Amino acid sequence: MIAAFKRLKASRGVGKFCRNRLAVAALGIIVLYALVGGWVALGDLLPGRAGITYAQVEQPVWPTPINGFGIPATNERRVEAARIITREVKRAVNNGEGFTDIRYGLLHILPGTADSDSELDRLSTLIEESEDLYDQLSEFDDLNSPEPPTLDDGAPDPDSIDVPSTIARLEGAVRQMFAPLSGWQSLKQSLLHSLGTDRQGRSNFLRVIFSIKVALQVGIVVAIISVLVGTFLGAAAAYFGGWVDHAVVWLYSTLSSMPELILLAVLVYAFSGSVFDKVSNPWLALVPVYAAMCMEFWIGPCRVIRGETLKLKELEYVQAATAIGFGRFYILLKHVIPNTVHLMFINFSLLFIAAIKFEVVLSFLGLGVKVGPSWGRMIQESTQEVINGIFWQIGAATVFMFVLVLAFNIVSDALQDAFDPKHVG
Amino acid sequence: MWSYVARRLLYSIPVYLGIILIMMGALRLRDPVSAYLGKNATAETALLKKASMGLDRPFLPIGIEDPAEPFGIEPIVEVGRVGFYPPLRTQYVEFLWRILRFDFGTAERPYRSWQFESDNVGAKLADAVWPTLKITIPALVLTATIAILVGLLSAAYRGSVLDKTLMVLVVLGMSISVVVFIVLGQVFGSSWLNGKLGFELFASNGYEPGIQNWVKYCALPVIIGVVVGMGYDARFYRAVMVEETSRDYITTAVAKGAPRHKIIFVHMLKNAMIPVITRIMITIPFLITGSIVMEYQFRIPGMGKLLIDAIVNKDFPIIQTFTAVLAGLFILTNILTDVLYALVDPRVRLA
Amino acid sequence: MTTPSPILSVRHLTTRFRTDRGIVTAIDDVSFDLYPGETLGIVGESGCGKTVTSKSIMRLLPERTTIIDPSSQIMFEGTNLATADDRTMRRIRGDRIAMIFQEPMTSLNPVFTIGWQLDEALKYHTDLGRAARRSRAIEMLKLVEIPNAERRVDEYPHQLSGGMRQRVMIGMALCCEPDVLIADEPTTALDVTIQAQILALMENLRKRLNTAIILITHNLGVVAQVCDRVAVMYAGRVIEVGGVRRIFHDPQHPYTRALLDSIPKAGRKEHGKRLPTIEGIVPSLFDLPKGCRFADRCARCQPLCRDTEPELLPAEGVGESHLKRCHFPLSQAAPVTSASHAAMTSSPGARP
Repeated sequence: MIAAFKRLKASRGVGKFCRNRLAVAALGIIVLYALVGGWVALGDLLPGRAGITYAQVEQPVWPTPINGFGIPATNERRVEAARIITREVKRAVNNGEGFTDIRYGLLHILPGTADSDSELDRLSTLIEESEDLYDQLSEFDDLNSPEPPTLDDGAPDPDSIDVPSTIARLEGAVRQMFAPLSGWQSLKQSLLHSLGTDRQGRSNFLRVIFSIKVALQVGIVVAIISVLVGTFLGAAAAYFGGWVDHAVVWLYSTLSSMPELILLAVLVYAFSGSVFDKVSNPWLALVPVYAAMCMEFWIGPCRVIRGETLKLKELEYVQAATAIGFGRFYILLKHVIPNTVHLMFINFSLLFIAAIKFEVVLSFLGLGVKVGPSWGRMIQESTQEVINGIFWQIGAATVFMFVLVLAFNIVSDALQDAFDPKHVG
Repeated sequence: MWSYVARRLLYSIPVYLGIILIMMGALRLRDPVSAYLGKNATAETALLKKASMGLDRPFLPIGIEDPAEPFGIEPIVEVGRVGFYPPLRTQYVEFLWRILRFDFGTAERPYRSWQFESDNVGAKLADAVWPTLKITIPALVLTATIAILVGLLSAAYRGSVLDKTLMVLVVLGMSISVVVFIVLGQVFGSSWLNGKLGFELFASNGYEPGIQNWVKYCALPVIIGVVVGMGYDARFYRAVMVEETSRDYITTAVAKGAPRHKIIFVHMLKNAMIPVITRIMITIPFLITGSIVMEYQFRIPGMGKLLIDAIVNKDFPIIQTFTAVLAGLFILTNILTDVLYALVDPRVRLA
Repeated sequence: MTTPSPILSVRHLTTRFRTDRGIVTAIDDVSFDLYPGETLGIVGESGCGKTVTSKSIMRLLPERTTIIDPSSQIMFEGTNLATADDRTMRRIRGDRIAMIFQEPMTSLNPVFTIGWQLDEALKYHTDLGRAARRSRAIEMLKLVEIPNAERRVDEYPHQLSGGMRQRVMIGMALCCEPDVLIADEPTTALDVTIQAQILALMENLRKRLNTAIILITHNLGVVAQVCDRVAVMYAGRVIEVGGVRRIFHDPQHPYTRALLDSIPKAGRKEHGKRLPTIEGIVPSLFDLPKGCRFADRCARCQPLCRDTEPELLPAEGVGESHLKRCHFPLSQAAPVTSASHAAMTSSPGARP
C-alpha cells in the first residue's frame, strides 16, 4: 500500500493536480476545516480545556437575538437585553439563598464573588441605575427612530434625554455587573456574537464551528468505510468473476433500484432501534446515519473499481504475476487494488460531499442528527426565523457548508482531471 | 424490439425480488410494533397490530423453528429443527403476492395504515400520487428543456464570457444545499413576493386539489425545483455537447456547408439525445428525492411527505408498501430508459 | 503544366494555435497552387502540418483557439478564403470545395441514414426537390460503386463496412460536383486492397468530373500512383514542391531524399540490408531552430543551415515548376566537411 502511494506521488497526475492552483487552495481550505474540526472534537476528550462541548453550544450567549455579520442591533433589542439582564441579576441578588450563576458566553457573574456584601451593594447600585435609565427610555414609543418629545407649543422639550447616549450608559451599567473581560476574552466574546444568535440567544458562530466536527465526522466515517468496502467488493467481483461477480452485481443493482434519499430514510429508520435512541454519547447516536449511508454509498466506488479491475486483470503484469504462481488473494491485494488508489481518492472526495449533503437533508427532515447542532439542524431550526427576516442562522450554516463543499467540488474536479482523463463533466 | 423489452423485464425480476427482500428485512431489524406503540402498550394491542401485518408469521418459507416462540403454523416438513412453511402464509411471499395483484386494501379485505386506522394503505398511496406528479412532471420537463438549451448554448459559445459565468454560477449553486434553496425560495417566493405584489400569488405552504389551484400551491415548488436541478443538469449537458462538438461527423457537417443552427440542433442534438435520455431518466429519482424535501417544507400531501410522516410516526404498513411500490416504479423507469436508447440510437436497435 | 491559371492559390498561409503553453505556429508561410483537374499530393510525417493546411483552407479549425495570420491568402475564384465571412464559407464548403476525412468510421453521423446525409449537402447547395435529391443521392452511391444503392440509401453508417463508408464520404463530397476535393488521408484507415479500390475510384471520378484534388498522405506509394504534383512538408513548412516525376527521380531536398529512401522496394539491390530510416525527431513546434528546420537531422548540414532558414526557391535549371527550401540542394555537389562527414558515417542524426 505504501509503495502504491509512492508510485502515486511520482505519477504525472499528482504533478498536474499540484499545478492547478485553485485545487491546491481548495485543499488548503479543507485542511483548515479539518484542523478546526479536530480542535472541536477535543471538547469530548478534554472538556473545559480545549475544543467545544455539547453543553457549551446549547448555552445562550445573549438574552435576545443578535444580528450577525456586523449588522448592528436595533435600539429596542439593546434596551430589551439590558432589561432582561437587570431583571435576572436583581432576582439573583434578592434571592437570599446565595447567588446563582448568570452567564452569557464569557460574560458571567461568579457566585463566589457576588456573595460578599460589598459586591452585593455594588450590584444593587448598578441595578438601580439601570432601572432608572430604563424608565427614562420607556417614555419613547419608538426607540428605533426616536422623536424628541415636544412641549405644548411644539418646541422640543429641553429636559428630553438623548436616546443613543442613554442606551450606551444603560449598557455600560449592565456591563459593569459582570466580571471584567481581558482583551483576549472580549475578542472571543465578540467572536461568539459575530454571526448573531438564534432565537434562544445561542451563538451561531459556536454552533456553526461545532457543526464542522459533525460534518467531518459523518463525511470521514462514511466515505472511508464506503470506499474500502466498495473497493474490496468491486475488485474481488471483477478479479474472481463467476458467482462472486454475480452476487456483487446483483447486490448493487438491487440497492440502486431505490432512489437514494428514500433508501437512506428507510434505512435510518430501520437502524435507529432502541439502542441508539437511548445513548447519550452523540458519537454513537449517529450510528444509524452512518450505517444507512454506508449501505448506500459503497455502490459508487464498487462500480468504478470493478470496471477498472476488469481492465487491470488483462494487463501483462497481472498476468505475469498469475503465471509466476502468486496466490490470487495476494495478487488482488498487492497488484490490483494498489493500482486503483487514484480512483479511491476521487471516490472518497465525491462521497464526502454526498455524505455531508445527505446529512443536511436528513437532519432537515428530522431523521439525521438529533443531539447537538449540525448544519442541517441549523437550517431546519432557521425555518421559523427566516419568516421574520432573521437570516443569521441559515446564513452562517450555508456559508460554512458552502465553502467546504465548494472546496471538495474543486478538488474532486481537479482529481478527475488529473487522474481520470476520460472523465467528462 | 419486443424480445429486447421482454429480456430486460426478465432480468429485473431477481433485482426486484432482491430489493423487496432487503427492504422487508431491514424494516424488521427493530420490532415494528413496539417501535410504533412504545412501551406502554398492552400485550393485546401489540398482538393485534402484529397480526394485522402478519408479523406473527414466519418471514421466509425456510426458518429455524424456535420452540420458545412457536409460529403457530405447522411446518410441512421437519428436518431437525429446520422447517419449511406453507410459502403463501409467510410474510415475504404473501407481500409479493399482494404487490403482484396490486392489492393494498379494499373495502372487504382491508390493509390499513397503523396511524390512520380508517384508511387503507392503497387509498393513501393513491391520494398521494397526484400532488407529487403535479410538482415532479412540470419540474422534470422544464428542467430538462432549459438545461439542454443552456448546455447547448454554453457549449456552442465555449470560452465566452456567457459560458464562463454560467459555469461558475453552476459550480457555486451546486455547493449550496438543496434545503437552503427550498427554505429561502419559500420565504422570498411567498411572503416577501406577496408583500411586494400586494396579493397572494404563491402560498407559503398547503395544498388544495384542482388544476385552478396549481399556481397558488405548486408553481413555487416547481420553480425552486427547476433552479435546483438546473445546475447539475446544465453542467452535464454542456459536457456532453462539448464532447459532441469535437466529433468527426460534426467536422464533416461543417465541411458540407451546414449552417451553425443545423449543426447544433440537428447533428449535435440528435447524437446527444443518448446521454440526455439517460440523464433525464437518472434525474427522475432525484426529482422524487427533491420533492420529498419540497413536499415536507411546503406541506404538500404527496408521496414524499407521506413517507417522511410515516417514518416519523413509525407507520410500518405505509413504509413497507411505499418502498415496494417505489422500487417497482424505479425499475420500470430503468427499463424504459433502455428501450428509449434503442429507439434513439440505431446502433442499439435490436432485431 | 498546360493550364496557366490555378484554381486555388495558397500564399503565405500561417496558422497559429492558442495552447496552454502559449501560442504555437503549426504551419508557417505555406504556399502552393492547385490547377484545375490535377491531383496535388501533400506528404510529410505526422505532425508536420498537412491536416492543419487542409483544415485551414476549409476553415474547419476551432475558431476559439485558431489564429490564421492576416497576411495569409487562400485565393479561390477571386475570394480570399482566409478572411471570408461565415456565409461565404458556408456557400463554398461542400459545394465548390469538398473534403473527405481519414476516419470513415467516425466521420459519418451515426444517427442519420446515409441517404439523409447525402441529401443534406444537396439541400444546402442545390434547388432540387425532395424526390430529385433522393434520386441524385442514389445516383451518387452508384457512382461510387456501392452495390444495392437503392437499399443502402436508407441504411445507417454502422451497417456499412469501412471501405463502404469511405465511398459514401466520397459520394457525399462529390454530389455537388465541387471544383476542389481535399482528401485528408482517405485511405490510411483502410485495408490495403480497399485502399487501392478507393484510390482508383477517386482517380476515375477526377477524370469524369474534372475535379482538382488535394491528396494528403504520408504514403509515398499512394502519391506515386495518383498524383501529378507533390508538396513535401516538414515541421510546418513546405520544403519542396514539384512534378511527381521530378520529385521522385530528382529530389532536391535531403529530407525528400530520405523519405524516398525509406520506402521498401521490391527487387532492391541492397536486398537484406536494413531499410534506411531518418534518425532523430521532428523539432518541437514550441522550440524551433533558428535556421533550417531539418538541420539537426540533415547529413549535409552546414553552419549556414543553422543560422539562416532557406527560402522556397526554384531548383536550378528547372524554373518555377520545381521549388525547394534548401541552401545546399542535392543537385549541387555535397559540401563535405569534417563535421558533417563524421555525422554521416557514425550516426546521421546525432547533434554535433
